Parts: sequence; C-alpha cells; structure tokens
Amino acid sequence: MGMFILRRTGVMLLTAICLTFIVFIMTNLYPNLEKLAKNEGNFRMSDAEVASFLGNRGYTQGKLQNYGEWLGVLPGYVIEGIDGKTRGRCSNHGAIVEDAGRYCGVLQGDWGFSSRFKEPVLKIVATRLALTGKLMFWVLVVMVPGALLIGVMAGMREGSRLDRSLSTGAIVTTATPEYVSGVIFIAIFTSSAVGLKWFKGSATSAMENATLENFLLPVLTIAIYGMGYIARMTRASMAEVMTAQYIRTARLKGVSFANIVLKHALRNALIAPFTVIMLQIPWLLNGVVIVEVLFNFKGFGWVLVQAASNNDIDLLLAVSVVGVVVVLLTQLISDIGYVFLNPRIRIS
Amino acid sequence: MQNLTWTGTLGAYINPFFLTALCAFLIFVVAAAARGFSRADGPNPINPTPPSIALFGPTLIIGLVLWLLSLSGLSPFEILGLGNMWLSLAVCLLIGVTAGFGLFQISSELVFKLVWGTFYAALGLFLIYLVVGLFVLPETMGIVGAISKRLTPTWIALLVTFSVSIYFKRSLGLYGKLFDSPVGMIGLGLVLFWVFTALLGAGFDLIATHDPLGQVSGMKNKHPGIPLRGAEAGDYPYYLFGGDTLARDVFSRAIVGSGIVIVIAPAATVFAFMVGITLGLPAGYFGGRLDTVLSFLSNMVLAFPVILLFFLLVTPEIIESGLPKYLAVILFVFPVIFVGVAQYSKNRLKPNFLTLQFPIMMIIAIWLYLSLISEAGAVISILPPLLDLFDVPSEILVVFVSVVFVNSPTVFRIVRGLTLDVKTRDYVAAAQTRGERPWYIMLWEILPNVRGPLIVDFCLRIGYATILLGTLGFFGLGLESESPDWGTTINAGRKLLSVYLAPVLVPAFSLMSLVLGLNLLADGLREESLRD
Amino acid sequence: MGGTIRMQMDVKAMKDPRTHDWTQISIFSAGWLEYLVEYNNDGSFTPMLLTSWEANADATQYVLKIREGVKWNNGDDFTAEDVARNIIGWCDKGLEGNSMAGRMASLVDEATGLAREGAVVAVDSSTVHLNLLQPDITIVPGMADYPAQIVHKSFTVETMVSNPIGTGFMLPENLEVGVKASIVRNEGFEWWGYAAGKGGYVDRIEFIDYGSDPATHMAGFEAEEFDLNWESTGEFVELFDSLGLVKTQVASGATIVVRPNQDHAPYDNKMVRQALAMAVDNNVINELGNASLGVAADNCHVGPMHPEHNPDVTRAPFDPVKAKALMDASGHGDFEHELRSLDTGFWKDTCDAVAAQLRDAGIKVKRTLMPGSTFWNDWTKFPYSATNWNHRPLGTQVLGLAYRSGEAWNEFAWSNAEFDSLLAEANSLANADERRVVMGKIQAIVIDEGVTCQPYWRSVQRHNVAGLVGVDMHIAYLPQIYKWGHAA
Repeated sequence: MGMFILRRTGVMLLTAICLTFIVFIMTNLYPNLEKLAKNEGNFRMSDAEVASFLGNRGYTQGKLQNYGEWLGVLPGYVIEGIDGKTRGRCSNHGAIVEDAGRYCGVLQGDWGFSSRFKEPVLKIVATRLALTGKLMFWVLVVMVPGALLIGVMAGMREGSRLDRSLSTGAIVTTATPEYVSGVIFIAIFTSSAVGLKWFKGSATSAMENATLENFLLPVLTIAIYGMGYIARMTRASMAEVMTAQYIRTARLKGVSFANIVLKHALRNALIAPFTVIMLQIPWLLNGVVIVEVLFNFKGFGWVLVQAASNNDIDLLLAVSVVGVVVVLLTQLISDIGYVFLNPRIRIS
Repeated sequence: MQNLTWTGTLGAYINPFFLTALCAFLIFVVAAAARGFSRADGPNPINPTPPSIALFGPTLIIGLVLWLLSLSGLSPFEILGLGNMWLSLAVCLLIGVTAGFGLFQISSELVFKLVWGTFYAALGLFLIYLVVGLFVLPETMGIVGAISKRLTPTWIALLVTFSVSIYFKRSLGLYGKLFDSPVGMIGLGLVLFWVFTALLGAGFDLIATHDPLGQVSGMKNKHPGIPLRGAEAGDYPYYLFGGDTLARDVFSRAIVGSGIVIVIAPAATVFAFMVGITLGLPAGYFGGRLDTVLSFLSNMVLAFPVILLFFLLVTPEIIESGLPKYLAVILFVFPVIFVGVAQYSKNRLKPNFLTLQFPIMMIIAIWLYLSLISEAGAVISILPPLLDLFDVPSEILVVFVSVVFVNSPTVFRIVRGLTLDVKTRDYVAAAQTRGERPWYIMLWEILPNVRGPLIVDFCLRIGYATILLGTLGFFGLGLESESPDWGTTINAGRKLLSVYLAPVLVPAFSLMSLVLGLNLLADGLREESLRD
Repeated sequence: MGGTIRMQMDVKAMKDPRTHDWTQISIFSAGWLEYLVEYNNDGSFTPMLLTSWEANADATQYVLKIREGVKWNNGDDFTAEDVARNIIGWCDKGLEGNSMAGRMASLVDEATGLAREGAVVAVDSSTVHLNLLQPDITIVPGMADYPAQIVHKSFTVETMVSNPIGTGFMLPENLEVGVKASIVRNEGFEWWGYAAGKGGYVDRIEFIDYGSDPATHMAGFEAEEFDLNWESTGEFVELFDSLGLVKTQVASGATIVVRPNQDHAPYDNKMVRQALAMAVDNNVINELGNASLGVAADNCHVGPMHPEHNPDVTRAPFDPVKAKALMDASGHGDFEHELRSLDTGFWKDTCDAVAAQLRDAGIKVKRTLMPGSTFWNDWTKFPYSATNWNHRPLGTQVLGLAYRSGEAWNEFAWSNAEFDSLLAEANSLANADERRVVMGKIQAIVIDEGVTCQPYWRSVQRHNVAGLVGVDMHIAYLPQIYKWGHAA
C-alpha cells in the first residue's frame, strides 16, 4: 500500500510538472507577454518599449530558464535594465536586491505575484479557495445524499415505475448544464418580472455571510447537474447488488424488504458510487466557474477566469497546479477508498 | 395587426380541456409518487403501515403543490388564492387530506391508469394544436400552431423515417430494436427532430421565418407573437418567439443555430473517436512502453480542468500565435491514418488494390486533410489557393479543435480498456494463429466486437460536446458574438433574462431537449444491446 | 451626518492621478485628493482649492487665487507652491500615459516635453500666474477633469495608498483590486470643507466590484447588496426603474465613436471612411444600440450640449446605395471589415447594429468581441473599433484630446493641418458665438473626411435606493463624494 501511494505521488508530481510547463509555455508566448506588458506598464507602449519592458523583467531569457526560476531550481535573474534600474526576480516586490535570496520559486514557497490583483499569488489562491471550498461543501451536502437516495430507490426495484420515473429524472438533470439551469433558476426565483423573488440572484454577500436566501441557488445549480450522473451510477450498482445470490437468500428467508435494502444491499451498493463521487469532484470545477461567474461569487473559479483573461502568468500557474492536484488527489483517494471498501481487492 | 396569442382563436375552445387534462395529470403524478414513497417498502401483510402515517405523505404533498400552484397565479388555480396566503394554505391542505384519503381507498392500479389516461388526453389535445396548426392561418391556432406549420418539413421527414423504420425494424439490427424501447424511441425522435430541423432549416432554409442576423427597427425585446413592423409582401408577418435585444427573430435564430450545433458537436465527436480509437487500440493491444506513454499523456490532458484549457486555447492571443492550427494539424491526421490503415490491413492482398484503389483513396484523403488545415494567408498555408477545396472559418476551427482535444483522451481510455478486455478472447487468439497482422486484428476483429459500448458512449459524448460548445459560448469564447448557436445566444440573452424570457429559454430548452434526446437514445441503445 | 454608502463600481489598481484612465480610479483617490476647480451638471465651474481665477482678454494669461487656510492631512499648509508644482507635473509629457499633458498643451515646451520656463509662476503664497504659449480657453475646464487631483510634494505612486497625504476628508481603508475597496472619514482632521459648508457627510464609502455585466448589477440591486450603482445603461435603465429605485439622469455629451484607424489600410482611403459613415442610420443605432436613451448625432463629435455647436452643419445623408457605390469605387468593395468592440453593454449592441446596417448596404463585416481586459490594452490601435467618450464641457476639448494630430488618444490616427489650425483658432475665442463660426468649418471637415461614425449622444444615468442625497449622476462622472449623504 505504501509503495502504491508513493508511486502514485511520483506520477502526480511528474504530471504536475509537465502540465505547469505547458501552461508556462502557453502564457509566455509572445502575444501573451505583449498583453501582459501593456497591462502592467502602459497600454500605449510601442513595440520597442514592450521589448525592453519584457527584457528588463527577465521574460526573454528563454523559457526553460524562466521555468526553472519559477520552480526554484535555478537562481532568480538579476538584470540591470536599459533604464539603469536593477531588478531581480527575488526582489521585485519590496526586498532589496542584495538581501533577497538567490532562489525564489515554488520550492522555496514563493508562488509569485499576481499582476492582475497586485498581491502575492499564495494569498489570493488561499482566500479564494476557501470561498470555493464553502460552496463545494454545500454542493456535496446537497448532491451526495440526494443522488444516493434517488439511486438506491431507483435501483432497489429495477424496472419498476418508480425506477423508470426516477431514472428519467436523472437523465433530465444530466442533460441540463449549469448555464441552463442557472439562468432558469434566476429567472423564476429571483427576478422581479416573474415576481416570486424567493431567493437572491447574486451571491456576493454569501462570501461573508451565506444564508439560504443568497446561497441556495448557486449550490443547487451545481448540485443538480452532478446529481443525475451519480444517481445513475448508484442505481446501476444497486440493481446489480439486488440480483446477487445473498440478497435472494435473504429474501427467501423472509427478511423484510426494508431490512434487506438497509442492512444487506446498501453497503455493497455504495462502493461504486464512492469512486464516482470522488471522480466527479474535478468535473464540478466546470460548474463552479460557470456559477461563480453567473452569481458573482468571487471564489476560485472567478480567479481562474480573471487570471486567464488577463494572462496573469504566476496566478494561472498556481491555478493550474491546484486544478491538477485536485484531479489527481481525488483519483488517488478514490483508488485507496475502493481498496478499503471492497474486501475482494488487494493491491500488492 | 394584433399580437398572436399562444393558441389563437381556436385555442380558446381547446385550452380549458387541455389545461384540465394537464393539471389532472400533474395531480395524479404527484399522488402516484406520494403513494410510491409512502409505501416504498411494499405491501407487507403482516405489519401494514398505519393508514394515518401512510396518508401523511400524499396529503402534505398534494396540499403544498396545490398551494404553490395557487401562488403562481396559473389560471385554473388562481381561484384557490382566496386573497389570503394562510387561508389559501389551509384550504389547500384540506383538499389534500380529502384527496389523499380518497386516493388511499382506490387501488394502486387505478391511480396509474388515471396517470396514463390523463397523460394521453393532454398529449392528444396538444397534438390537436400541432396538427390543426398545419392547415389554418397563424391567427387561428396561435404561436403553437404557426410554429408547427413552419416545422412541416421536419414533421414529414420524421413521419417518413419512423414509419419506414418501424415497418422494416426486424431487418435493421440494433437500430431496429430501438423501436421496441419507448425510451429509445423518444430519444431517437428528439435527436432526429433536431437533425431534420438543422438539415432542412439551416441547410435548405425551409423553416426559419427571417434572417437570423437581420435586425428590424421596432422589434427589439418584443414578446412572442409580435407582428413584424413594416412587413412587406413576402415577409413572414410575425416574430413567432419575439425579438431579442438586437431586434432579431428568436425563432429563426434557434432554428439556424441548431445547424451549427448539429454539425459541430457530432463531427467533433467523430474526430475524437478517430483519435481515441487509433491510439487506444494499439495501446491496449501491444501494451508495454507505448501504453505507458500514451496513458500518461491522456491522463495528463484529463488532469487539466476543461475550462482552464478552453481559456488557454481559445483566447485571441493564442489564436494569433497559431497554436490551435498546429493542434488541428495533429488531430486531423488521425482520421486519415485510421481510414488508410483500416483499408490497407483489410484489402492489401486483393489484386489491384495496392496499385490502384489504395493510392487514389489516400490521395483524396490527404487532399481533404490538407484543404481542411490549410488556409490562404494563415499560419499554415501549404496548398496553393487553387487546390484548396474549402476553408473552415478560423473561429469554428478553434472551437472544433478544442472540443476534439478535450474528448479524445476519454475515448482513448475507453477503447484501451475494452481492448485489454477483449484481446484475450478466443477469436483474437484464432486470428493470431491464422497469422493475421496486428492492425487487422485490432481493426477488423476487436473493434467490431466492442462497438456496442462505443456506440452508446458516442451518443452520450455528442451530448457532452453540445454542452461544451454551449460552455464556450457562455464564456464568449470561440464563435462570433452574433452567431446564432445556442450557447452564445443564451449568454447574450441572460442579461435581460428577468424580463424577456424567450431569447434565453428557447435556445436553453432546445439545447436541453437535444442533449436529453441523445441521453435517452444512449439509454435505449444500451438496454437493447444488453438484451442480446 | 454619518453612515455608510455602498456603491457598485469596478475596483481598479491605483496609479498616478495624472495617468488615470478611468474615472473609477479617481473616485477612490478622491477620498483624500482634491481638485482646484470643479465642474457641475449645470455647466458651471466652482472653485475648490482655488477661490477664483481670471483670464486676460485673449486668454493667454491666467491668475489663480489659492484658497487660504487649507491644510494637508499631515499638518502642512497648502500653498501656491503646491499648486504650481502640480501644474508643472501635469505638463510632463515624458510620463507615460499622462493625459493631463494634453489638457495643459499651451504650457508645454514642445522641445523638452516639460512645462515651459516661466509658464507657471507662484507669485506669492496664494497666487499663481499661468503664461500661455497660445490662447487657450480650455485650461480651467482641463483642471476640473478627473485626472487633475492635487498631490502632496512627498507623493510617490508606490506609497499613495499606504501613506495617503491629501487635503480631502477621507482616507483609504482597503483596496482589493477587482473585489472591493473602501474609504473612511479621517477622524480628527479639520477639513477645510466643513467650515466652507461643502458637506462631507458620510463616514464610510464602500466600492464593490461586480464586473462589467449589468445583469449581475441588477442581481446585486435586487439582493440589496449595494445602495447605488456606477451607471445604468440600455434596457437596464427601465429595469432598474421598475425595481423602485431612484434614477438620476443627465443629458450629456457622452458618446460612442465607431471609428476606422487611418494607419491601417483601407481606412487611409477617404472614400472607404465616408462609405462607412454613410451606410449607417444614426437614429436606428440610437434605438438598437442605446435603447433610445439619447439623441442621434452628426458624426462630428460636437453637439447641442456644447456652447459653440453649429447646428447648420449636419452629417452626410444616410444613403446605403451611395455608400456601397463609394466603397466599390474605392476599390475595396469586397474587403471584409472587422469591427471590434467590448463584449457587453451598449458597446456590443451599438456595433452589432452598425454591422447589421453595413451588411444591409452590401458591405462585408465581421464582428470581434473582446473582454475589457484585452480591449483597452490596444483601444487606440485597432483598425476598426468602437470607443466611448465621456462628456466634456466645451466642444473643442474632445477635439483637442482625440482629433488633433499626434495626440495620445487620437484613436483615428487622423492628422489634418487645416483642422489643427482651425482648432487653435477656436481655442483663442473666449466668446461662444464667435467660436461657432469656426466650429462650423471644423464640423464640416470632420464629417467630410469621414473620420468617424458617431451615432448618438447618450444621456447618462445611475440609480440609487431611496433615502440618499447628493449621489446624482454627474455629467462627466466626476467624483464629488463630499456631496454624498443619507437624507436626514
């Protein structure tokens, strides 16, 4: 088991390094750098000024060198610019060149500085991730029990009318992406035009103080789309378990149906949904981005959009690292959990 | 001219029946569901659930639903509003108790008969709107009838397809079996509806009433059924679903938009399958280092948040750098390889094949490939303009490439898994002993035998690609802002959503119904293929 | 007195006031940085840190009187030296993005790009003399514009928020770019305005960023997350009205130009430019692009709200057939124009409507939408795009900023010697009636050259919840936060 986790962690690191390198290359393509220079400096810079701006700040040293600096395996640049000022990667935001350490990359715990928000990347990501964490927590609270309930009820009597109607319902929710359900919710429940006004169409105040009124719709929008898929997986798993030999035996012995479902079938039927739920978490990120934009909730998804549309290199790299880690970590947990839950599988 | 109402002058006579049937259906559905929930553990003769507890569920649900309906102000229910919320609640609950008690007395079978009975009644009455609408003026049967009339070509195509298919269903294999499954038939119906609408509406322009980009003064933000201002002879006199915020016809935009969606989503899925199959088969079949490398690469793409990938790929700066074009060069070569290898491995021993048919085939394929990727004046311009058969607009190409790129690794994983499973089967071993070459075995022994799950996944994946397209549109990435495709339209219309519902709801429900159709179709296919 | 007001507004990063390119930046720094002169909705100019000013007959010499008894919030006295230093700073053409240099053009030495020797003189502790190179009537209006905030001698861009020295009654509390910002009353500071009866009512102002999508603003209003918005546009004016909010509206000279850039082919061709303007019916654009919240304009960027506007000079008549003929005659009949704009609001709607009209005329157009973050990086350089321009008090002002040859904001890349000299002539005529004669000629040149399509004048409006005073929409979006307060 220890070896397994170790190997998986190794693969995870390799993937993260490859992916950040790709993101690094893409954000450092010249048109993107030009955009960055004009954002940072001045939007009317001439091409020559852009070149010197980028040169002075070490952007033109070569991609591998820059990437090494970002990682912290190569010493940060110290460049005496054409304008006479000396700039160093490690001293750009406050520290004086001589005092600053020679290495300042991710390995040293320095994730860089956001050009869009003018703040250290680590601080932004931490704040915004916490907000998205709050959103995700409630999404899971709504989605998982709901999906399991629907799936178990549909799967316990495969082919019944209850199964048919619940399964069709599950298919309908998987066919309704967040940007469709979100706008429909907003139209029905928040707008003055329809007039119900039960909830609020903006979740900005939920960042500080989440209430049912301002937080239900964003949570529901994400939860519903994911719910159908998990419900269908649960149903399939439940239906399979219900045809198993030991369930039949139990029924013949006269155990009540409720007892069969609750005491015998449920545990085995929930193994598959567990892995599905874990694998579903990274997919929720899509929904998070859409919902955060739709409801103006300034979490991780919003930062992603801001970083990408402003070519905020350091922030984008950090965002992709977080994204990759979440994907790989959930995969790891789902594998380990599968082993623990399923006595028949042992990983050597 | 007057505004069109939803169901016109004739509708005034049918509406009460239709609404009654619909409401009765809804009430019985709720009642049936409530019964189902309260008796989820089935009839237990030894220890029956006390009626008082069993009654609680349906009573409460029926009462609350009635109350909500009365609050919503729908015509037959507003009478229950009674001018006072709490009084109304009490009355509704009372009705619920009575109804619940009544329902408990009647048998389960009767409730379901009532559900289906009212359902067919409502459906039949709705069909009257559609059918009558075909033969009368828009004023008589209203918006619903008029739209039904505009969709005549689609109806005809659907009718022909369905009757021919049902007649010959025994000789049509898996497709024919679909017509044994109601779910599959509904799914197929929805999908074909949009396919025909896209083909006849966007392709042959038989359905749309106006130019999807045309703006008519005075038609801005108008509600459905508005007469066209300044209509001249030959103009269709109404905006059936109203005008959007730029005074364009919502109905026509949805119809023409379906063309974009119906072409891009399946085509991108086909390409993703070509890539996934061409790489997944050898990865699963040979295993070893090839498998390790390809799996690592596909896991890497899958580890990337889709939305971030879109933002990185589909921004003006990246498009300017030509990156999507290079990606297209790589991704689009796989269909050529696929077709080439498939034909070569099967027919290489036939006379004349290697000297005549194969070269011609490959020249055509490569020519198409080069035409696809090459564009005069762009980053990649290999073919001289004279030989360049067609140009794909760059923004469509970018969207297309992104959707293919995101979907390929998943297909790769599925194909690889299936291959791993199937390659130990006897018929593969038999082919190996016959001395067949590996590619022949992969493409002509393994692939046909795993087609079932692949076809099911194909349907689901088209739906997913449709959703991805919409996501791109929602973030304003890729297609032009004026593009009538559904995602972009939803994004444009949501700003005024709280007042003008039609410009958003029409494309939203279109998208939903198409994806739903694809999912139901996949479900039907899965069920029917499992039945073998 | 007292209380908090929350406003929906884009929260942008701070920079040197002279380089402010958004009024939203100035409204935050207006908490502690003030103006010499203030422009009001009725067209009048009120002294703030000045008490009066006087010009000589041909507008070449100005005498500025400094308000006495004003203190910086670090205890220093506010003197004529401070004013002179700031004006000299405004003249620095070498500072990138310094738009004040354009407004102070008559004080600048072309050779050095700095204030001319002897142009700005502090005569005594309360008097400053300005000696202009050529007659200029726009210099005082220029001092009332949003980048003209007066800073302390110790001012640096890096420390302007951490060490906020100014003359105003508030101080910055926090600034989170893109999220929110707030300013609070500087307790214990004896602001000059309290004694002068200027107000300074609220204790705290919060600015909350809701992005550029008005649908989100609407959701915020409905959720009661802020008390007033930055600006209401398009259909949303009616929608906000229907929420029971209070609307304040001003008919203004704010407008949008859908302009070709003459540095790019084929827009160096006059016939192409004329055709683009001729094919567009400005009334329809006002309806579709501006929700009819304004009046159609005449493609010359001078209008009835300017004192010197000449109503006899009107646009080249709307004529799609002739436009197509002109376009064909120019040899670019098959050229596909790429019209760029922001991806939201009236920018998008206006350009979509213009594109539809061009297509109707048989001219090929493709639309490209860009988010604000990308668009404003290059707004002066796009071959064909749309820009909004704020209101300015005099007709000659925008012409001087955006149409004069070689100006920083000349997004048309237009350079015309005759226009430049006529504009200089107009600028020396203090009397509006005399100016009108010259202005007629200027309007005619701008129209005939096809410099731009300028379809309509916008009225500007914002909404607030009931119970606020002094938060009215300002005709030029100027930050007069000391007027804000809660109704007693």
